[in-house]
Amino acid sequence: MGLFRYELRLLLRQRLTVGALALLALLTVAALAMGMAEVARQRAAIAAIPAAQAEDIGAVAHYVDHTRDAGSAAYYSFHPTWDAPAPLAFAALGMRDVSPYILRVRALGLEAQIYDGDTFNPELALPGRFDFAFVLVFLAPLFVIALFHDLRSAEREAGRQRMLDALPNGGRALWRRRTLLRFLLTWSAIGIPFGIAAAFAGVAVAPILIVLALVAAYLLFWIALAALVGRLRWSSVANAAALAAAWLVLVLIVPTLCNVAINAAIPVNQGAEIAMAQREAVNGAWDVPREATMRRFYATHPEWADSAPLGPEFHYKWYLAFHENGDESVAPAVRAYRQGLEARDAAARALGWVLPSVGVQALLTRIARTDLTAQLAYQDRIRAFHHRLRTFYYGYLFRDRPFGKTDFDRAPRFDDRDRG
Amino acid sequence: MSAVGLIARDEIRLMTRNRVAIIAFVLVVLLTLVAVASSWAHQREIAELRARQAEAAETAFKAQPDRHPHRVVHYGTFIFRPLGPLAAFDPGVDAFTGNSMFLEGHRQNSANFGDVRQSSLLVRFGQLTPAFVLQVVAPLLLIFLGYGALARETERGTVRVLMLQGAGRGQIVRGKLLALGAAALLAGLPAMIGLAAISGQPGALAWPMLAIALGYAGYLALWTVLILLVSASVRRSRDALLALVAVWAVAVVLLPRVAPDLASAAVPLTNRLQTEVAVARDLRTMGDSHNPDDPHFAQFKRALLARYGVAKVEDLPINYKGAVGIEGERLTSAVYGRYATANHVAQARQNALVDAMGLLSPTIALRSLSMAAAGTDLAGHQRFLEQAEAYRYALVQRLNRMQMEDVSYADDGATDAGADRRKRVSARKWQAMPDFRFIAPDGRTLAAAALPGLAIVFAWLAGALILLMVASRRLGAR
Repeated sequence: MGLFRYELRLLLRQRLTVGALALLALLTVAALAMGMAEVARQRAAIAAIPAAQAEDIGAVAHYVDHTRDAGSAAYYSFHPTWDAPAPLAFAALGMRDVSPYILRVRALGLEAQIYDGDTFNPELALPGRFDFAFVLVFLAPLFVIALFHDLRSAEREAGRQRMLDALPNGGRALWRRRTLLRFLLTWSAIGIPFGIAAAFAGVAVAPILIVLALVAAYLLFWIALAALVGRLRWSSVANAAALAAAWLVLVLIVPTLCNVAINAAIPVNQGAEIAMAQREAVNGAWDVPREATMRRFYATHPEWADSAPLGPEFHYKWYLAFHENGDESVAPAVRAYRQGLEARDAAARALGWVLPSVGVQALLTRIARTDLTAQLAYQDRIRAFHHRLRTFYYGYLFRDRPFGKTDFDRAPRFDDRDRG
Repeated sequence: MSAVGLIARDEIRLMTRNRVAIIAFVLVVLLTLVAVASSWAHQREIAELRARQAEAAETAFKAQPDRHPHRVVHYGTFIFRPLGPLAAFDPGVDAFTGNSMFLEGHRQNSANFGDVRQSSLLVRFGQLTPAFVLQVVAPLLLIFLGYGALARETERGTVRVLMLQGAGRGQIVRGKLLALGAAALLAGLPAMIGLAAISGQPGALAWPMLAIALGYAGYLALWTVLILLVSASVRRSRDALLALVAVWAVAVVLLPRVAPDLASAAVPLTNRLQTEVAVARDLRTMGDSHNPDDPHFAQFKRALLARYGVAKVEDLPINYKGAVGIEGERLTSAVYGRYATANHVAQARQNALVDAMGLLSPTIALRSLSMAAAGTDLAGHQRFLEQAEAYRYALVQRLNRMQMEDVSYADDGATDAGADRRKRVSARKWQAMPDFRFIAPDGRTLAAAALPGLAIVFAWLAGALILLMVASRRLGAR
């Protein structure tokens, strides 16, 4: 242990090392604070839903109460859904800045609603977020390079290497000690602030340990790369230049090249085509006999088939039926669209097995539930909720039951914990 | 040959002997070429796809059968944001904003289906475009080529040898500057050739391209000066390299990410749910056409009846429902417009904060000038949103007027067997509707938007030059 203490004292006398470690810890803390502030904002926005919703639905209830028409209630009532951030979301914000985490839906065609976005500033989203994942994936390797590029070459250039090799406990043991020490210090500079923040945010022990292991593994990859370059016995300068070039290639260039390749190799039919096809199907219903629409609807929803036949007047059950028909007519395109997105995502994940930068980002966003999988799971919850909404309103419309003020309270409520 | 020329030639010869440097240089040139080719192909593909989709949407709109005008208000239309030729150089926020929009009555929808939600997580690592290569990769290449230019001479004591041979400090620095500047020019050339090739496309504008070329030239010149400044100020070339990589990491990677986060924390945006609830609240207080007791519409009705000198809406020569539709749309659009403006103002304030950080990081300034000149910044998207809203409003009001003039009030409320037929307006009317045409801003407007960024980049360049002059006076002093 004594030798470690001496090495530590030696290390702490180097201004570059101490400065680098302090800066890394500072950046980690800043990124964690920014991430937590963003997640707190998102939680506050979700917490503000009930008050706004009560006001809005109250006005609709007041208006609908004149007619007690369930169709008007279904048409004018927007129901909120939300995707509360997982405890670890602060560490990797993932797609949460460009995909909505609050979406209001009504019992009309869902395909015209589910792709809506929330308000965000695209110029701010463009460079990506400054979160823990960014510090780890992009910045930490640069610090590893600064600390490890001259581990041996500095001693060689100072003419001390032969002496160090000749010392008792010198040679390999010495380099191991120094490597381990620098690794532990770097890991602590990232891991300790993260551990504290995660514990503070109420993250379970297992994910914290996984992330800490991930941090260690990613740092070790870069340390190994530095050691590999060090074996070439180049000068410190050449080592630093080679490692920085490797960083550029592995963290910036290969991912962007692969992005181009993946998007070209896996074409996704544009979502806009789904929206256009659905709107064509929905609006076309005004120009076909209403009985045909109802027949088609009853074929897939036999439970309402015994409803009274349509009169000459407008009836909302017809309106909602052709909206649901419209959704069903684009279901194959929706499935294909989703499969395309998942295929792209899977290709990027596969790349993560060979490219540590991508792998770490993918794993972090997965554990933090901020990736595409989490987005699609949220869409599934919206779909399930929307189905409940439709069933609820159909119960009034197809049975011609009046919809009073108290019925608004009976409407299904979205439950975020209902995960799939 | 002058001393400056000799020193420059010597430095270039040294660079070309460094095999790693040559490989790196070739790789960057190749990367640029790949970026130019893929980005251009991508831009053309997207532009064609959107043009095709827009045409399909227009055809569908015009192929509508005889319909009640209000049906068409809800049928609405899809429009697509066209992508200008310069987006092949710098696509800016194009992937991050929705590029299609559904326009209908009573509502203002969001632009949907941005590429960022249709791509894998890799899109957040950056996009391979000529702009990306020049902004991010080229400076690092120059650092590798030039970090030792002066520090190496200082470290080995060869500065004094040069000076003994009669070279002035200024001549040494100018010679090195010339050599690294030539390398920078060569590194930037492929992207500029790409830019020139793009200019062959119709619609490419001279002024913005000039602004882009100037901006990137200034940016690379700035890095050249900065590298020599650091190289002149430190005693060991390793320190020069580490310091330069640190400066690069902070200016190019860190600050462009931190600035937006600070801006979004400082200026929060109202989310869609809160905006919609507020819009509904405002509409309830201003006038609700569905509410029979609404004071605004009661007043509207009285005024309309008085204008035509009749007692009942049934006696009006026009369809009262259409008139109410026009008034209702006017009110909703005004309210939506107010909130959209507030949102635009808030986003502009966020961007102003980020631009202020451009004083700390020339990369931020360059990025915003590049996007502004290419017309792919937030302002470009908002231009689209504003034109889309103007088009939507005109379209909906035309349809409301059609309902007012071409559908009689009696038919509109009738429910007898033939009523549905009588309410419909001839399909020929849809064919006469004008299509949405995005009016791109002219070159001067785009170039003018790039001026603040240009000013910052060149202010940085001037500052760095002055510092280099100061630093070169101490060259070889110890």
